[in-house]
Amino acid sequence: MSRSPLQPFFDAKGWRPFDFQKEVWEAYLSGKSGLLHAPTGQGKTLAVYLGPLVESMGDGGGCRVLWLTPLRALAADTLRALREPLEVLAPGKEAEARTGDTPTALRARLRKKLPHTLVTTPESLSLMLTHGEFAEKLAGLRCVIVDEWHELLGTKRGVQTELCLSRLRAWFPGVRIWGLSATLGNLTDARRALMGSAFEGSVEVTADLKKPIVIETLIPREMDRFPWSGHIGTRLVGQVADEIEKAQVTLLFTNTRSQTEIWFQELCAVRPKWKEQMAMHHGSLDRAERDHAENGLRDGSLKCVVATSSLDLGVDFSPVDQVIQVGSPKGVARLLQRAGRSGHQPGSVSRILGVPTHAMELVEFAAARDAALARNVESRVPLRKPLDLLVQHLVTCAIGAPFEADMMRREIESCDAFVGLTDEEWHWALGFISNGGAALAAYPRYQKARIEEGRYIVDDKRLILQHRLSIGTISSDPAVSIKFANGHTLGTVEESFISKIKPGSSLVFAGKQLTLVRFHQRTATVKLSTRKTKGQVAIWGGSKMPLSSELSHAMALRLQGYGDPVVEMKAVEPILAIQRRWSRVPSDEVLLVEHARSREGEHLFFYPFAGRLVHEGLAALVAFRISRESGVAIHTTQNDYGFSLTAQRGLVLDEEEIRFYLREEGLLDDLLECMNTAELARRQFREIARVSGLILQTPPGQKNRSQRELQSSASLLYEVLHRYDPGNLLLLQSQREILEKQLELTRLTEVIRRLHGIPMHLVETANLTPMAFPLWADRLSATLPAGDAASRLEIMLASLNTAADSIRNHTEA
Amino acid sequence: MIRHFPTIRLLPEGVVFLTDTATLVLADVHLGKSAAFRAKGLPVPEGDSARDFQRLLELSARHHAAELVIAGDLFHAPSGITPELEGALGEFLESIGIPVTLVIGNHDSGVSNLGVKLRAVPHLDLGYRVRVIHDPAHASGDLMHLSGHWHPVVRIPDGKRTSLRLPCFLLRGNTLVMPAFGSFTGGAIIRPEVGDRIFVALRDEVIELPDRLIG
Repeated sequence: MSRSPLQPFFDAKGWRPFDFQKEVWEAYLSGKSGLLHAPTGQGKTLAVYLGPLVESMGDGGGCRVLWLTPLRALAADTLRALREPLEVLAPGKEAEARTGDTPTALRARLRKKLPHTLVTTPESLSLMLTHGEFAEKLAGLRCVIVDEWHELLGTKRGVQTELCLSRLRAWFPGVRIWGLSATLGNLTDARRALMGSAFEGSVEVTADLKKPIVIETLIPREMDRFPWSGHIGTRLVGQVADEIEKAQVTLLFTNTRSQTEIWFQELCAVRPKWKEQMAMHHGSLDRAERDHAENGLRDGSLKCVVATSSLDLGVDFSPVDQVIQVGSPKGVARLLQRAGRSGHQPGSVSRILGVPTHAMELVEFAAARDAALARNVESRVPLRKPLDLLVQHLVTCAIGAPFEADMMRREIESCDAFVGLTDEEWHWALGFISNGGAALAAYPRYQKARIEEGRYIVDDKRLILQHRLSIGTISSDPAVSIKFANGHTLGTVEESFISKIKPGSSLVFAGKQLTLVRFHQRTATVKLSTRKTKGQVAIWGGSKMPLSSELSHAMALRLQGYGDPVVEMKAVEPILAIQRRWSRVPSDEVLLVEHARSREGEHLFFYPFAGRLVHEGLAALVAFRISRESGVAIHTTQNDYGFSLTAQRGLVLDEEEIRFYLREEGLLDDLLECMNTAELARRQFREIARVSGLILQTPPGQKNRSQRELQSSASLLYEVLHRYDPGNLLLLQSQREILEKQLELTRLTEVIRRLHGIPMHLVETANLTPMAFPLWADRLSATLPAGDAASRLEIMLASLNTAADSIRNHTEA
Repeated sequence: MIRHFPTIRLLPEGVVFLTDTATLVLADVHLGKSAAFRAKGLPVPEGDSARDFQRLLELSARHHAAELVIAGDLFHAPSGITPELEGALGEFLESIGIPVTLVIGNHDSGVSNLGVKLRAVPHLDLGYRVRVIHDPAHASGDLMHLSGHWHPVVRIPDGKRTSLRLPCFLLRGNTLVMPAFGSFTGGAIIRPEVGDRIFVALRDEVIELPDRLIG
């Protein structure tokens, strides 16, 4: 590319372009699409943006670049970054953002005329596709840029993006697509998913800016009193406060929103003088609270922000000079991403300080560093054929402009996610969005899209409105806003949490001690607590993310003694020595199984190192198979390292028997039978029902009376479909999703095969070992409810009677 | 005329049986709900109405009922009353062979245009001091009221951060609120008040829930 058009911009900045930037510009200008793999930082934005910008400098009006961002919170920062070169190189051309946050006036203006560069989200882009004139407005589009593609890949929003891109490719065959991605274990898959049918000929560019990353761990001063298990682990709060003291601005990450609230409280308690200089950031907090934290990080006016993954992405906070990770890093990519939030000043190093909440996390941090240095980063597996999104997208398209089925099918199949779509699936989807079709004979008088001269049309105003409200695939539990009586909103919690708190009781939220005044409809009114009691910390559903395969493997290597000596391993050595003395140190080259006896009966502990979801599935599977043979009732627990079985008797097994219970044969059938998958699939169905338009969305705060008779819950719909249309492909999808999401079925199958091929050590232990203890201590925590409603109720009634009997016996004695 | 308070039996199917007069009372069938959904472009399969008619016939035969009373919301919406549903209703009234009375509920506005003959009344007195109404809010005086409308569901926490949700009978003062009978009806979790008594089906019987189980 000729350097001259860009010269003024680089001269003004006093910069020299990086090689990877030139590489992207050249590829772009020679008509290629591609994926740029780069760490966070300014350089990648210019790399993908300057090509289309320079190319379109002389163009007339109209939209030339579409910039997709996964988070609408990033839109404002992105816009700022794009306007800089735009003002220098193409003065007079505009960049605007169109997201869920865009004010109505600007939205109306954008509907009339699009700017040169439009920043938007996948949901907003979908929504724009429902406006028929959008295609004309976009005429002249040169490039679509998808930011943070690794975040979208493997999610339904990622597939929504693919579908939108297929529409744009069909409209504008010459359009180039560029993605930006952080490090992934499967960059080629990521590029294929983004490019779809345009994969051949696309390029992958790597910005090999070896930005140094330092991963350190806070070693507990009193290691002998450091717990073997636990999740909250605020024991190190004093040491953490010392570290915060030393730095200018600290970003402290935790793994859950509850943990964020707890750490914020504890830090305020040990350093009351920081109260005004600390803030909190998580997804349930009100926008204003989050803005306060973000602005404080941007201008460096805050000392410390305690955050969840809500701050993982995008936004550059230059003043941040220290990142702290509390608790398990869970994955290598995640730790690298979080480390990358610091050290944005030129020449500085990204560093992250790991804070273990229990002993084994010391090993996790050491392992994460090993894997990060070896660039052994997790993959994200793209989703395959989510039909709920397909039917949503078909309605979106039919609202925008009538479509012809065969042409539309070719367009859909140009998406990587829908390669291999079968005739059955396609005709089912067409029936679902129009008048039932042959596969949906149980749907008399149903009609959504009309078919006119072989083309599918949705022109009913009410249906169009309904559909626009339902676009968007992120779903969550019904949210309840938390407000003060004066109307000031603090944020949202899940209904299931607030409904368990009685008025007058206290709770902790947004870093405040609160008392619940009343809970009415979807608002909980609170006031500040006057008493100094500790309230319940709000609990959010959210997933318990399992340890990644890559990190588990790195950890197993460390436990086997591989790698250079590091402080973490030295600190944890006394505990490993106990483990070695009483049993063995587990690894993934040998399956360690411990058998122990206690007052409760017998215990078996397995350590496959495969993450908690896989262990949950394995535990249920083995327990189910043993019970089926011997009839004993078995209780299970699991964590990221292993799982346990507890029974009053019947767990004295030899290696052959254990291998028999861990066999691959009959795996899926046994899992479906033992995991209460019906209940799990019913829960998963909520998201599918929303995406596919089975459940109507009402805008928050509005009670639409005319829609009231169309309300139903996802579980009710699941029942109805299950009973009257059991072949419905959405039911099958929900079962498939639940097996992957809740059980990681693919990974579980691989683990069973791996265990099959390695030797087993069966050890009888006199005491619970350091590895076994956390599993034993977890036995009281919640597990999935097993059995039908009647059996569960009988168990509860029986335990009530037992409790009553024991009280009676005590009083009589 | 019977001058004593009638025996009211709660059956595990979520219905009430007055043994003295062999009267079956139930509430909230919401016939034609899936058809109402389909009429608005939501793909929900048919089958619920046929199943509910079948369940009613079986109940009536099993208990040798002499009379059937529906405490409101036999239908879901006027848009759900299709010619097919009217036909099925006519057939049902013929097969059941006993008098059927509907106490009109807030969803039954389509009932006045029905082609089928169905007795519909604002409320119904049954023998000595028992009245059937739809909305519990309309209970008055010291009569015993049988009602529906709320679709009551009780939440029973199991102490492990999960809970059971079961359709229930709720006795509050002199008013008994029956669970929704229809196959495609949801429920609303009740917030128990002091003095409430709650009954749920457990396999083949109905039991009263001990207070301590209710969250």
